[in-house]
Amino acid sequence: MSVVKLIGRKTDFRGKTLWEIVGNLKNFGVGRVVVRNMFERYPEKSFMRILKVEAVPNEEIRKVKVTVEKTFRGVTSQKPVVIFSSSYKADFKLIPKDEEAEYCKVSNTKKQVILSPEMDLPPLLREFVIDETKQTNPRMKVHFKENLNKLSRLAKEGEKPNLEVPIGLGTPVSPKLYENCL
Amino acid sequence: MLRSAATNLLRQADQNLGHSSFNLQFVRYRRKPRWLPVAKSKMFRIPEHPEQSDEEKAELLRLHNHYRTQMRSVRLFLREEAQRIRQTSSADHLVMTPEEEEAEFQKCVAINDEWNKKISEERNQRLEADLQKTKEFVDERLEAFRERKEEHIENIDAIVKAEKEMAKTFITREKLDEAIETALANPIDYNFSIDLKRNMYHGRLTRPEKEQRQLEAAN
Repeated sequence: MSVVKLIGRKTDFRGKTLWEIVGNLKNFGVGRVVVRNMFERYPEKSFMRILKVEAVPNEEIRKVKVTVEKTFRGVTSQKPVVIFSSSYKADFKLIPKDEEAEYCKVSNTKKQVILSPEMDLPPLLREFVIDETKQTNPRMKVHFKENLNKLSRLAKEGEKPNLEVPIGLGTPVSPKLYENCL
Repeated sequence: MLRSAATNLLRQADQNLGHSSFNLQFVRYRRKPRWLPVAKSKMFRIPEHPEQSDEEKAELLRLHNHYRTQMRSVRLFLREEAQRIRQTSSADHLVMTPEEEEAEFQKCVAINDEWNKKISEERNQRLEADLQKTKEFVDERLEAFRERKEEHIENIDAIVKAEKEMAKTFITREKLDEAIETALANPIDYNFSIDLKRNMYHGRLTRPEKEQRQLEAAN
């Protein structure tokens, strides 16, 4: 058995460009499932089912316009998504037909983060604000930008948030790291 | 190569330093400049990335997420605060009612009026003084002009008087014959002679006294 030895810098990408996959398939692979290697790091399933393929003029070598139904971290988006600007990345993988059913079985989805709409002020600013306004417990708005891709949102009126952004350390995810410091 | 070039330059600088202001300061380019390619010796070097455990990754992700949200929230807070202050107040008040604003405006107007009054008084005084000064100056100049004119007229009068006096001796048509006769009767001899001792002898035929005497004696 031959030994494969890789030399040079490491890359996070692994796979082919989208055009390399799609250009070799019957009917440009409509109905097939492709996967980004980058998204396989998440515990939840992420994959894309090809709906439509458009070739682009020759100026954009390596690129292709593909409309897909995207499932990211177990959540399937409502609208089809067009992959164009990232299609040149050599990070796509085709799922064989016989593995599709197995691969696309979504068992768990990413838990939606519901952010508290308000948070504490940083200590010094808090002191200043208390000094100026005589409020006992001043709070500030949490910055949040609406985006279709986000798996988080701000808590609505009367809703209980599941994440309060703390000022300071907060509760560590891995307390083991802080064993001798805290 | 680069280093050797720099050394050469430095050597030149050392030579020149004694008698010129040529002074080199090397601060940058301790390392390779950006535009040079990777050094041959470093071409196949692969930087090693430290391995992060899943726990560490998760914790760092949490910390970074929180940090970014905190910073953006603080910025948002300060931006909104600044906007609110800009809209509602000019300086120390955070909020002013329309009545307060009106009162403030009236106060400003009163102060402004007071200043205007004070300045107008000062200005009037100054203008008065200026007017007085101008008046004095004009009067002085008028007086001087008058004096000059009088003097001029006096001079003219004197000249006219003198001319009139002179006019009595003028030779008119009537007096012409008389004048000719007088002139013929009293011939004037403008000739003169000078000897070596600068003695002047008027008259065409006048001689020095000594010679005259000798001549007379001879006759």
